[in-house]
Amino acid sequence: MRSQRGTYLLGALCLLGTNSCALFIPWLMKLAVEGLQFPHKALHPSSHYALLIIAAALLQGIIRIFSRTTLLHAARRIEFQLREELYAKLLDLDLPFFSRERTGDILSRFSNDLTNVRMLMGFGVLNVINTAIIYLAAISLMIRISPSLTACAVIPFPLMILVVKRLSASMFRRSKRAQEELARLSSHVEENVSAAAVVRAYCREAAQIEAFREVNSRYLESNMGMARLRGWMIPVIAATGAIGTLIVLILGGSRVIAGSLTLGDFVAFNGYLAMLIWPTVVLGWILNLMQRGAASMSRLNHVLEAAATVTEPDTPASVERLRGEIEFRNLAFSYDQQATPLLTGISLTIKPGMKVGIAGPVGSGKSSLVRLIPRLYPVADGQIFIDGIDVNRIPLARLRGAIGFVPQESFLFSRSIGDNIGYGKERAGTGEIVAAARLASFENDVLRFPDGYDTLVGERGVTLSGGQKQRAAIARALLKNPSILILDDPLSAVDARTEEEILGSLAGYYGDRTVIVVSHRLSALRECDLILVLEEGRVVEQGNHAELLAMDGRYAATWHEQQLRAEIEKF
Amino acid sequence: MHYGGIYEDEIVGKAYDRRLMGRFIGYLRPYRLLVVLTLLLLPPMAAARLAQPYLLKLAIDNHIVKGQMEGLPLLAGWFLLLILAESIFTYAQVWLLQYVGQKVMFDLRLALFSHVQRMPAAFFDRTPTGSLVTRLTSDVEVLGEMFAAGIITIVGDIMVLVGIIGIMLWMNLKLSLVTFSVLPLLIWVAFTFRRRMREAFRQVRARLANLNAFLAESIGGMAVVQLFNRQAREQNEFTRLNASYRDANLPVISWDAALYALVETLSSVAVGIIVWYGGGEILQGALTFGALVAFIQYIEKFFSPIRDLSAKYSIMQGAMAALERIFNLLDREHGEPLGSTRGNGVSLLPPPLMGGGEGEGDRQVERIEFRDVWFAYSGDDYVLKGFDLTIRRGEVVALVGETGGGKTTVTRLLSRLYEVERGSITFDGTDIRELPLKDLRSRIGVVLQDPYLFTGSIEFNISLGDGRARQRVEEAARIVGADRFIRHLPNGFGEEVRERGVNLSAGERQLISFARAVAFDPEILVLDEATASIDTASERLIQEGLRGLMAGRTSLVVAHRLSTIQDADRIVVIHRGEKMEEGSHQELLAKRGLYYRLYQLQFRD
Repeated sequence: MRSQRGTYLLGALCLLGTNSCALFIPWLMKLAVEGLQFPHKALHPSSHYALLIIAAALLQGIIRIFSRTTLLHAARRIEFQLREELYAKLLDLDLPFFSRERTGDILSRFSNDLTNVRMLMGFGVLNVINTAIIYLAAISLMIRISPSLTACAVIPFPLMILVVKRLSASMFRRSKRAQEELARLSSHVEENVSAAAVVRAYCREAAQIEAFREVNSRYLESNMGMARLRGWMIPVIAATGAIGTLIVLILGGSRVIAGSLTLGDFVAFNGYLAMLIWPTVVLGWILNLMQRGAASMSRLNHVLEAAATVTEPDTPASVERLRGEIEFRNLAFSYDQQATPLLTGISLTIKPGMKVGIAGPVGSGKSSLVRLIPRLYPVADGQIFIDGIDVNRIPLARLRGAIGFVPQESFLFSRSIGDNIGYGKERAGTGEIVAAARLASFENDVLRFPDGYDTLVGERGVTLSGGQKQRAAIARALLKNPSILILDDPLSAVDARTEEEILGSLAGYYGDRTVIVVSHRLSALRECDLILVLEEGRVVEQGNHAELLAMDGRYAATWHEQQLRAEIEKF
Repeated sequence: MHYGGIYEDEIVGKAYDRRLMGRFIGYLRPYRLLVVLTLLLLPPMAAARLAQPYLLKLAIDNHIVKGQMEGLPLLAGWFLLLILAESIFTYAQVWLLQYVGQKVMFDLRLALFSHVQRMPAAFFDRTPTGSLVTRLTSDVEVLGEMFAAGIITIVGDIMVLVGIIGIMLWMNLKLSLVTFSVLPLLIWVAFTFRRRMREAFRQVRARLANLNAFLAESIGGMAVVQLFNRQAREQNEFTRLNASYRDANLPVISWDAALYALVETLSSVAVGIIVWYGGGEILQGALTFGALVAFIQYIEKFFSPIRDLSAKYSIMQGAMAALERIFNLLDREHGEPLGSTRGNGVSLLPPPLMGGGEGEGDRQVERIEFRDVWFAYSGDDYVLKGFDLTIRRGEVVALVGETGGGKTTVTRLLSRLYEVERGSITFDGTDIRELPLKDLRSRIGVVLQDPYLFTGSIEFNISLGDGRARQRVEEAARIVGADRFIRHLPNGFGEEVRERGVNLSAGERQLISFARAVAFDPEILVLDEATASIDTASERLIQEGLRGLMAGRTSLVVAHRLSTIQDADRIVVIHRGEKMEEGSHQELLAKRGLYYRLYQLQFRD
């Protein structure tokens, strides 16, 4: 904002220029009328004054263009800068922030709040300067004509500022309420449309219409509340101006008759009074804009000042390539809000190149455990080590660069399939992308798309099936050539046989990479060097497949259950 | 990197379309008295506004210049009266206009919503949810704007403009004509600028849509961005979009500033012209001082509506486009209304099935028969090709087959969410198309694959607000075994379900949709089992729930779990839209045919 200071100064100067021209016009009219009334005393013919008026008008117009563009462009630039800073901040913030804040709320800060701040910095500033100049100049010129008349004429103005401020404040409140009702109405429609099949199957059409009528009525009512106020706005503004004129008419008129004021004074005075009306209206509006702008700015600061809990290390360890040894030392973890820890007392060393499987029921902490390795959530010091270095001391880019992570919910960007697969590498070559797709058993699917790797996947990948999205996400992680590969239940959308096939074809790629696979299908974990069974955040069993079976505990029970089903299948 | 945003193309066209307006005026009919009253208020409002400068002229000419104080207070009194009158008329007019506008918007929204309720399920496959929401919200809002600032206000403005021209011409013909010489320029300026601004503004909206779409996606995929160390490149892309949005805005500001300045300048130039030409007239005695002052005031009053006229033109343009879209939706042919039958087959119906329409005391359907059923969602891409199936009362029939084979379609056709194209589905020999839709659907309970939950309490989600179902909510929950988890919720059956049931697990959502079907106590159950894998505990819960759900009902189930096919009386294998095999689980397995393979493939966990 500071960088725009010079621009604002320039804008203010332009405003001074354009208003000087504007203020000159009534004075010229005064001189012209006086000249017309007493032609023998006139210094110049009235046509000269008329030409001066036209000249002033033209000059006023030219400077006006500059004053408005200068200030309003500056506000747009500030908006741009703020938006840049906000986005940069978002890129810095961690998952705890994003799970705390709702997406819609963040988006509304980017749109509504930013707009409010821009309005304040643009129209707000412009009108404050404008109003100040006009008030100062017009009133001092009016005082020059007649101090007492000025005092009487401006009586209604403070009242008007107050009324406009009050009106626009309650207007704001009511429009906020109307907005809320509108939001409710549109989510009702959205829900109804999404549930079209349910509504039809259960013959709920009439009931839905009734429910909609109620929401619709509430919205109608909130709008009526606004309409009643809006009705007041125009007459109040018109009347204030007219009452000023009325006062000038009686008091000013009688002075002209008494001879203490010329007709020219009277005309000019009326002209200045008219000039005051609009800035006065705007002033009431600006006062609200300032409140709103300040509130919005504080909402923006909420984001700008948010502190990430996952941060770059203060004293980074110097690491080159990570080999992929992972060690958990008495690891404990819980999200802030939750009293019960999600993970407790996990101690384990995973040697580089080991293949580790993680099993356990829903909510046992499988995903939380693997998410902590790339520090998607904050980890306390001294609990996770990679190659013997505390993860909190490894520069984030280095740490995450060494990890290929396939999340449970495969998020794709609305770009081409090729761009999605090559996402993790700057300027990934076509060859690499095709190779990664082939490794992830995705190639055949891609070739069937009309534009192959250039096919756009649509918003969040809606044009792909669940299984295709998951394989695209796997290919994306493989292309990074990571030392550690983490697959968090990556193939839930395909059937068991396909999952086994895909994982089987990946085995060749594993090589000396450390691999962690989370899956609820034990058959997918059978080949792992080590399988961990989690329950309520603890490792309850560990070993390889044969050892776990021999242990005859939970793993074995689940395995037998799954086997039993396979038996039935063979019957 | 290419980034494609999606936004709805706006229709930019006429600002006034007789056909659309004519139809829209139909919606004003219930409020015609108020509309007439609003129109009647316009002339006195304009008169009160226009008389004020003339009173000033009288004051100057008859009193101030002549030095005659007498009568000036009376004139001032008239002035005050006019101010009051103008305020009252304006208030009444604005309020009436808004009142009628809001009422019409309410009616239109309700008409649209009711219309959408009558649309068949197929309509929703082709229509994006967002566009329907837009029709009911933004498009109707634009019409509201037309009411607040559109037609009637324009009529009022034109009345004022014509009044000013008339008064000026009457006061001094020559001076008026000279003054009006700036008008052609003004009108030309206003319309050219608006056209350019509209184009520039379209750019702004398109770029803002791209920027917002990018931002929303970024927030959603932040974990991926960070895991792949893409922050710098995402920031670059954002900067590009942000800058392109800013740059689209700058010309709009410049055009707007130029327009503002030009109108202001022309208004002052007109004052200069009045002083120049009027001054000469005064010296010749052809014009009074009062007239000169009044002229200046009239010309100022003249310019303000003109300044807004072009803005109002865009509002009207937007409103016409919105009307077009709204009427397009209202003109979409809808399915048959509930409670009526298609065609004139009423008399052919066997009386017992007609019953009371509510399913009470009706006799139950003995035989459901699909005969040579053909169906395609689009064109001749047939999903079902000559499908045959007979289900007898009380039977549980499981449909098995590969995804896309047509299983779900069979269930949709039975409840007439979609209509059979060729062939027929009959209940005891009566084509279901001859049955009142409401009668048919109240016999059938449908459980969809995706258990849709509404925002509202659990109780509401089970009963859907239906009076009879409401009395069976707890019993229904008990039958499917949902009561156990519901009772553990802080508010039990009153617990609020948040947006689409995010606060419940997948299994719990399933159980609620089972309870919903049971609460409506249908004689026929149509169930599309969820494919998603669920943990063992929930699995057991759901199996029990399913047994409660199907007990004593004729059931048609799209099966995805082992226990379901084992419990079924008969299994029907659908492959590429045709029935390939039929029989019991054991029989079909013994055949070692398609079912045997499907079983290997699908019913393994």
